[in-house]
Amino acid sequence: MENRIYCPRTMDEATFESLVNQLERIEKDFGKPVIIDLSEVQFIDPYGILGLLEIGWYLFQDGFYPSLILPRSEEVFKYMERLDFFKNASELFPLNLDCTRAEEPFFRSSHSDVLLETRIIEGTDDVHSLVEEVRQRAETILTTHLKYDANAIDSFVVALSEVCQNIPEHSEDIGYVGIQKYYYGKKLGKNIVKIAVMDLGIGIKKSLGPKYAPSAKNWSDLEAITLALFKGASRFDDPGRGQGLTQVRKLVERWEGKLTIRSGTSRTGLAPSWDTSLLKISSLKNFPGTQISIILPEKLS
Amino acid sequence: MRKKNKIYRIVDLMDKNLNNGSKNLVTRETGRIIREAIETKILKEQEGSTIILDFSGIGIIDFSCADEVAAKLIARLNIKEYGDKYLLFSGLTSSQEENITASLEKKRLSLLSLKQDGTWKLLGILNPYLQDTLELVMERKLLTARELADLAGVEINSASTKLLNLNKLRLVVRVRAVLPKGGRQFVYESLIDSS
Repeated sequence: MENRIYCPRTMDEATFESLVNQLERIEKDFGKPVIIDLSEVQFIDPYGILGLLEIGWYLFQDGFYPSLILPRSEEVFKYMERLDFFKNASELFPLNLDCTRAEEPFFRSSHSDVLLETRIIEGTDDVHSLVEEVRQRAETILTTHLKYDANAIDSFVVALSEVCQNIPEHSEDIGYVGIQKYYYGKKLGKNIVKIAVMDLGIGIKKSLGPKYAPSAKNWSDLEAITLALFKGASRFDDPGRGQGLTQVRKLVERWEGKLTIRSGTSRTGLAPSWDTSLLKISSLKNFPGTQISIILPEKLS
Repeated sequence: MRKKNKIYRIVDLMDKNLNNGSKNLVTRETGRIIREAIETKILKEQEGSTIILDFSGIGIIDFSCADEVAAKLIARLNIKEYGDKYLLFSGLTSSQEENITASLEKKRLSLLSLKQDGTWKLLGILNPYLQDTLELVMERKLLTARELADLAGVEINSASTKLLNLNKLRLVVRVRAVLPKGGRQFVYESLIDSS
């Protein structure tokens, strides 16, 4: 008998919890083979892809080596390939890579809406290379579809650099980033760009704990995220530290974007007027590290 | 006599000190490496020198890097950790200026950014009571406390304090000059066009 993790039809930030919630059951049955079943997935975004990789890492570190049942939808499968999921997943899941190739090779079109395929972040050089890559590709997506001028592109790349460098700087682990452009027809009637950044590291609560926990009434993940995002908190005493995330928040606020941070058992962030989904939650199932989602809308011309 | 300005190109320092070929000042680690390279250069310069850090050809500067290569550098310059030296930034784009400004404001610091057309811009925070004085020094290139007192209609003590405070912030150069009739006085000079 195997133990199966069922993936929802839509795999994004909103449904990430359904995967995390299934982990407890899996861990109780150590020894049974684990299968992650993607067969019903009809849509997956960078958060979903990165989430799946993080779940894979989490299980791998726990001694599991889960198999994947690939999505029935060819579109989803192709998208996962296009976002370099399989390239990054080969260590975590026993993949027969020949089987994951589509019958007809599908080339990465220059008109693709992928701004950045899944990239692993292990050190500072990875941040340099993804910054360079996004700057080079910016014209295709950020200028054409998001109507960003040169200054806005710089601000976008700076924000990306800040959220990604937190991984080698603070998480004590590796992480991933992925970026994709979408058209948000129903919610916004505009193009948007989605950035997902994740790691399985020590999380914000543990990172800030030595400095802030002693003076906190009830030191929690929610309090730690709130301090980092809204108060510029840093584990260092230098007043110049802790500014990265604060400046990213200011940018997202100015551009009417959405920013959420999940760490440990909590999630909070910035909600724009066009998305009123519940942001502040402190009773999630514990999951290590930090998971960040940023959505930035097209700018008014 | 003022020393000649020395110019250091940040792209050259990046080429020499980083192994990744990047032209973007991103990540705190990169900032620390480049700041240390700048510090080594500054320390080798003569006392009284003005050093121009030329950012031409640099892509983006993120906030963490700006804190290292601007805010930390200026904070140490102001306490004379590098001796009696002065710094000017040049070749900055508007978005680079914006991020450097954010890093300076956090530590209540300021620096001068030199534009290609020879004009200048103050980045960061400067007490408003010093701003007019700075503009006067920049405009006239040279100013004594007596001249400032006459121009601004203030007591010479007050004029002297303003100029001295600007010098402490390394925004104007202070040189001792010999008066024609004998005796000495301090002359305050603009950082720009002094070579």
